[in-house]
Amino acid sequence: MIQISHLSKSFTLNRQQKKELGTNQNSVLAVDDISFECLPGRVHALLGPNGAGKTTTLRMLSTIFKPTKGSIVIDNIDAVKNPQEARKHIGFLTGSAGLYARLTPNELISYFGELYGVSKNDIEMRKKKLYDLLDMHDFQNKRIGKLSTGMKQKVSICRTMIHDPQVVIFDEPTSGLDVITAENIIQLIRDCKNQGKTVIFSSHIMGEVDLLCDDITIIHKGKVLFNDTMEAFRAQQQAPNLTAEFIRIVHDQKTETR
Amino acid sequence: MIFTVFKKELRDTLRDRRTVMMMIVIPTLVFPMIMSVFMSVSESFQKKAAEKKVKIGLVSNQVGSLEADLLKVPESLGKKEFIPFTDTVSLIRAIRMDSIQVGIYIPNNAEQLKSAMQPISVTVFHDGTDLGMKERADAYVTYVQENWKKQRYAELKIDEAKITPFILEHSNVASSKEMIGKLAGGFLPYLFIAFGFMGCMFPAIDLFTGEKERATIETLLTTPVPRWKILFGKMGVVVLSGLLAATFNLLGIYLSIEVLNLVKDPVLLQAIKDILSPTFIIMLYALLIPLITFFAGIMIPIAVRAKSFKEAQSIISPLNLLIILPAMVGFFPGVELNEVTALIPVVNIVLATKELIAGTLEWHLVAMAFGVMVLLAVIAVLFSYRKFENENNVIS
Repeated sequence: MIQISHLSKSFTLNRQQKKELGTNQNSVLAVDDISFECLPGRVHALLGPNGAGKTTTLRMLSTIFKPTKGSIVIDNIDAVKNPQEARKHIGFLTGSAGLYARLTPNELISYFGELYGVSKNDIEMRKKKLYDLLDMHDFQNKRIGKLSTGMKQKVSICRTMIHDPQVVIFDEPTSGLDVITAENIIQLIRDCKNQGKTVIFSSHIMGEVDLLCDDITIIHKGKVLFNDTMEAFRAQQQAPNLTAEFIRIVHDQKTETR
Repeated sequence: MIFTVFKKELRDTLRDRRTVMMMIVIPTLVFPMIMSVFMSVSESFQKKAAEKKVKIGLVSNQVGSLEADLLKVPESLGKKEFIPFTDTVSLIRAIRMDSIQVGIYIPNNAEQLKSAMQPISVTVFHDGTDLGMKERADAYVTYVQENWKKQRYAELKIDEAKITPFILEHSNVASSKEMIGKLAGGFLPYLFIAFGFMGCMFPAIDLFTGEKERATIETLLTTPVPRWKILFGKMGVVVLSGLLAATFNLLGIYLSIEVLNLVKDPVLLQAIKDILSPTFIIMLYALLIPLITFFAGIMIPIAVRAKSFKEAQSIISPLNLLIILPAMVGFFPGVELNEVTALIPVVNIVLATKELIAGTLEWHLVAMAFGVMVLLAVIAVLFSYRKFENENNVIS
């Protein structure tokens, strides 16, 4: 379970960043007082246009960034005060993250297993299970740099799941992938849900959100615009489809801000 | 966990061709290459110089005894050919055009002066840029002069010993090890430091900026390993890479003398063997470890902050010059380790290594140099830690 309460994050800008952003402000508020809750056995969609603060929020959840204000509780662990302990419960899969090209899948997955404190026996057991599931046996000892995008994505999934986390964060996991590889990820998310894990799913593809998610939070300019179940989202829907509805909500907010 | 990170980073680093080239291949080959080039060039230069027939222009209006004796100078002093000239103007022109290498001017009254037992003023014309030619001409003239002196002593019935008040002899009390250490010993620490720095450079950029660029750092930071442990694991590989580069440099020296037999001079060979003793190697590492940790501590904050491999390289490469220039201090024979130079980073390690090679080490100065470098290494490590802890630096 994830409980996010009054979470904010601001970044101090250096001279070059100010120039790039065309601002004189010394800091920028990326996430502004957001609160929501993700429940076990449910997939929670985190949506927003580019620059909305999604990635910053997910990076705070995965404890890479420290919040400026607010609290994050993951499986009853205060992730702000005790990030190391919280990380043991989190698996983080992002479409933009790379893999160590000079290692083999076997070496990489064992390495992450060790970093998560999993015993050698358990690593081997889990590796076998995941390799069976993802059909990875053929390329487990090839250098990652020589693998196809789909194979690399399977390695990423394996790395994310090696410590059997209770909370799994997916940040645009299917971006740039072919349909078959994307389907593997969708299946993994479903499996996580069925196993009672808490899943956060961030995507630009509304079809995937519609298919997978139980709850939805839309953020824009660092603020929460909508936070409820998918059923409630569909019930209040004014536009003909989910994508149009998402655009409408964001657009209405833009108009209000003006 | 530090060791887990260290192990993985080491494996990853050793699979990077560029790093392996800078850490193993080049440091191993550089000394044998320098030695073989130096030896073959010096041997061929000496051989050519000995075989070269020097064309000597002779300005003289007569064929007197001096001219005749010059023609009789033995071939053991080098092959020669005398070419007559009528005046010094055409002689100088010929030297400039390299049709002759040196010229000797003998005055017209040479025979009269010889008969009167007066000194004859002989002028040697030479081109200062044509190395060794003046010495060849001097050797011929001196040979004739020594013979004439003996003839004059005999004619005057003078015992040469009686007009020689003393015979000056020199006895060098410095051992060959000291001589090599003090005069050429700066070259070795220069190599160790230069390669130590270069050995650190690529792993530092690859393990920090490279991780950022390839977006692998994000997944690493989501593991429950404290950042300082990740930093120390990575830093350990950077330091080890620098030390390995210096080690392979040392191996190159060993191969040059023991396997490739590139050092022919027995005195030099024995001196190098004396230098490469276990005590020297232990002491060398004791000096290099804090120095290379200091290098790593300087490079890592730059690599952590840089957004791309190119940016990191463009900042660290010029830094190389800042390190190499003080390392060159060791080339100057007069500069020694003292209470002041022991406080100057890099210079202190170069000079301490030089003293170590010469076997003239003063322990309190080495302790000072070591202490300064340890202090700087600790500061550099803490600075790296501060930069690595800053989330804005680590995530692009």
